[in-house]
Amino acid sequence: MRRYTRLYWEFAKSHMKVMMEYRIDFLIGVASVMLEQFASIFFVKVVFDHIEQINGWSFYEILFIYGIAATGRSIHQIFFDNLWTLGWQYIRPGKLDRLLIRPVNPLFHVVADRLHQDGFGQLIIGLIILGTAIPQLDLVWGAAEIAMLVIMINSSGLIFVAINLFFATFSFWMIDSLPIVWAVFNLSDFARYPLTIYHKGIRMFLTWIIPYGFTAFYPAAYFIDKSGYKEFALWTPVAAIACCFLAYAFWNRGLKAFASTGS
Amino acid sequence: MRKYWQIAKGRMQENTAYSAWYWAGTVSSVMRLLIIYFFWEAVYANQTTIQNINLETMLTYIVIALLLQGFVGGVGNELAENIKEGQVAIELMRPYDMIFKMFAVDIGEKIMYLIQGTLPMVLIAYFFMDLSFPKSPETILLFIVSALVGIWIGTFFDFLVGVLAFWTVNVWGVRVLKESLITFFSGALVPITLFPDWLRTITEFLPFQAMVYLPVSIYSGLISGTEVYMALGVQLFWLISLYLLVRVIWSQAIKQITIFGG
Repeated sequence: MRRYTRLYWEFAKSHMKVMMEYRIDFLIGVASVMLEQFASIFFVKVVFDHIEQINGWSFYEILFIYGIAATGRSIHQIFFDNLWTLGWQYIRPGKLDRLLIRPVNPLFHVVADRLHQDGFGQLIIGLIILGTAIPQLDLVWGAAEIAMLVIMINSSGLIFVAINLFFATFSFWMIDSLPIVWAVFNLSDFARYPLTIYHKGIRMFLTWIIPYGFTAFYPAAYFIDKSGYKEFALWTPVAAIACCFLAYAFWNRGLKAFASTGS
Repeated sequence: MRKYWQIAKGRMQENTAYSAWYWAGTVSSVMRLLIIYFFWEAVYANQTTIQNINLETMLTYIVIALLLQGFVGGVGNELAENIKEGQVAIELMRPYDMIFKMFAVDIGEKIMYLIQGTLPMVLIAYFFMDLSFPKSPETILLFIVSALVGIWIGTFFDFLVGVLAFWTVNVWGVRVLKESLITFFSGALVPITLFPDWLRTITEFLPFQAMVYLPVSIYSGLISGTEVYMALGVQLFWLISLYLLVRVIWSQAIKQITIFGG
């Protein structure tokens, strides 16, 4: 474990150097992600100029859901973004075979190979959204609540990671599963709004099959108890850990299948 | 004429090869429709109209806008790649006008997209959502004209963004900015009439609304009567201005290459 921490630090240090070298690129990346997010928030704002609430949720409450998703996603984007590239950067050009003979966990190696700068834009905008929304909500914030928020956001990030890892693993059989990963990832758009606005089938799907519901709505529902999900929301960290285990087990299977094809 | 058509056809064939991406794209579009549907249903749960727009008209607007936005892009990406890798020098020597060649590629791509991407969406949308049809065949005709003009405005604009690669290295940042601007100001997400006043005024002076908002408003009946012809006039103005701009900037850009000695 200690060895991996040190290794990661070494990897990260070199990424930092690269980032500082291309400072303008770094800034453009951060700014563009922020602008993108801002556009979709602006959309919600325009709609709320004309209505009071959606399904009982006010503008700032929706913003709170958004903020949790954005901040959670930034964890995934900063540290685990390289999973997207598993197919075309590692398996197709044969780079993965080289990683397999090194004395480190291949998943660790793939993940540590990149620290994604745009993720910082995501993190900043996520924190800004949360910072805007929280003072407007009628909530009491003590140490316990803040701790809970941090746990929830981290869980949200882990679920993003687990889902991506799971579907990226298909690359072991089909060389590049990027289209699948991308299509599944788009499902996370559902999580921007209260799940209660959707048909029951969609809600079930986003809770039990591809659990994006836990990336934003359930965590938010723990703090804003509108629809009686407060208790259910406590399962969020459990769901996150379970998803990670499942995805990692699947990854190991895929790796085995890949390695045993031999070539 | 024939050679440009061959170029368009070539692009169509290339595109059919990407079937995994095609299915992923279709699934994602269906999901987007679902999100739109449930979101607006929830928005309209407590009121029958927003700014005199009822749910049916709103859904029609949003869905048609979503479909139309898929066509607003263009060849800017490819052009920028060409410029960065120096391909453009060879392209310029070939026996065709490079601008028309790029537009031919673009038309091929868009025809394929119409068949593969848009038609299935239209069927799904009309089966499962209560969308309204325009009231008269005349409106449909005007919409088609307006949509085509809007698409061309988008294509020209995209071309202009692509040409920037002659002067700036970081094309990617400019592109993201462009995407955001279009999504923002074209009215692809929400009718511009819902914008706050100050923003609506700014929008009216920009070319983006001519890409999506005007055609879709004609279709969904948000604008009617003589206003339709006004809208078409505005669109034509932008079409011609942007085309002239494309020509001027392109010739400047070519001079630039010659200076670099290519």
